[in-house]
Amino acid sequence: MSLINQTSHSKGSFKSSSRRAETARVYAHPIPIIFPEPTYKFLGLSLTRPLNPHCTAVFDPLTRSAWISNSGDATLLWQRGFFGKGDLSRSEPSWLARQINARQMKGKGFTSEEITAKRRAERKQFKLDRAKAMAAAAAEAETAFNEQGRVIAPGIAPDGTRIIPSAATWKPTSASVLSEQSPLDVAPGEEEDIEPIKDLEHLQLSLQEAFFLVWALDCLTILHPETNMSFTLAEIWNTFQNAHIPSSVPQLNAPSPPRFDNPFLVSYIAYHHYRSLGWVVKSGIKFCVDYLLYKRGPVFQHAEFAIVVIPVYEDPEDQANSPFTLQNAEPFTWSWLSTINRVNSQVQKTLILSYITIPAESRVSPTILSSPACFAHYSVREVVLRRFIPARMRD
Amino acid sequence: MQNHPSYPVLSQLLAKYPATGGALFQVYNDLTLAQRWTDVEVLDLPACKRAAIKGQRPTTDTDRGPSICVVVPCSLSESISTSWLRAAFTSLDPLPSEIYVAITSEDTSTVYYKISQGIVKPPV
Repeated sequence: MSLINQTSHSKGSFKSSSRRAETARVYAHPIPIIFPEPTYKFLGLSLTRPLNPHCTAVFDPLTRSAWISNSGDATLLWQRGFFGKGDLSRSEPSWLARQINARQMKGKGFTSEEITAKRRAERKQFKLDRAKAMAAAAAEAETAFNEQGRVIAPGIAPDGTRIIPSAATWKPTSASVLSEQSPLDVAPGEEEDIEPIKDLEHLQLSLQEAFFLVWALDCLTILHPETNMSFTLAEIWNTFQNAHIPSSVPQLNAPSPPRFDNPFLVSYIAYHHYRSLGWVVKSGIKFCVDYLLYKRGPVFQHAEFAIVVIPVYEDPEDQANSPFTLQNAEPFTWSWLSTINRVNSQVQKTLILSYITIPAESRVSPTILSSPACFAHYSVREVVLRRFIPARMRD
Repeated sequence: MQNHPSYPVLSQLLAKYPATGGALFQVYNDLTLAQRWTDVEVLDLPACKRAAIKGQRPTTDTDRGPSICVVVPCSLSESISTSWLRAAFTSLDPLPSEIYVAITSEDTSTVYYKISQGIVKPPV
């Protein structure tokens, strides 16, 4: 769906039915592999093969991620399952569209970033108008009291109308709309000789997303950044576990000693658990949590659940000997837990504590860590957190 | 990453501080390409073991004047402390009234926090 020169746009999250139908059509597939309608069956078994797009990504050790620069693959992975994020955009890669819009339309573009920027500028202008009106009304009340000794209600004019604007009734004046210009200054005669803008954005997959696409769905190949050879699954397994070591080249050797509490393994288990149950899992950094769960995807509805991953060691000895300090492995303070819960209830998300049990090295031999078969020994348990106010919550 | 146009500018500091290289690269690109900052230069802060980015934000009508801001990138997997933040302030010359800490996540989400020295009253 092109974001350049769109002729219709939706207001906030209230979509018209045609817009909703269009979104449902574009984002119809929940995973990159498509299972086409069977053309014929034999004994009740479909004989058509699933369509696998076979995308390619390049591993980047410094940013600990996989990059997809091919825009076809990037669009495909975003539209079928919301994998990845454009590194210069809020969600899907839209940087090139925004640059083109800035040149052609001078600030009237319709990518989500541009709509948000416009809304924020209007709200800022409203707040300034309101502050000015409040200051003027307060000054007027002061002078009325000093000169005539009478007290007037500051926000109300003599005929009963409000002087101070409210968010519901304020309208942006034409001056404030025009002032929202793009910072790029295109001189009048420049339209003729414009060179095409090079797309400097890529779709970035976190290690968890990349491993899920490689191992669970088998629709992604990852290339070595320098040799451009594709990694084998064993090399990916080792490289991703070693990614926490700061380095500019991929570390292909198996981690020594292999450990069950490797940060990649622990976060991947949570990611895989929720993805395989059908949730769309995205990063939760904006809400102080580890993951956000979307029922269908970010374009449909806001995330309903916020996941905090809490690793629990079966054997405390392993935690004492660990070279890693996993986040949230120590008990939370009540104040910190309340803070996270408050932040998420403000945005109508339910907080879920996801406990990942790390097996004890005394019970399970670490040699099992040579392959993803080790995942069978971990467990995930959820605890839903909701603030309870006895005085108010009677139903 | 080597083929990206920002790489030549950052390559020395990426090699010097590989632990924070990813965050530096991501924040530098976000500021120069997406937020369209101008006069961007990269500073070396050995006291914080990372590089910082100084530049000018695009001014909007409601700003009082051009503002030079300093952004210190860090990644979500790090743990930072107040002594680290204090070192960031003292290593910068001239001493800024506030700095921005850019916290990056591996999926390229970046959140910016404004840190001032002491208590600052919010603007109206």
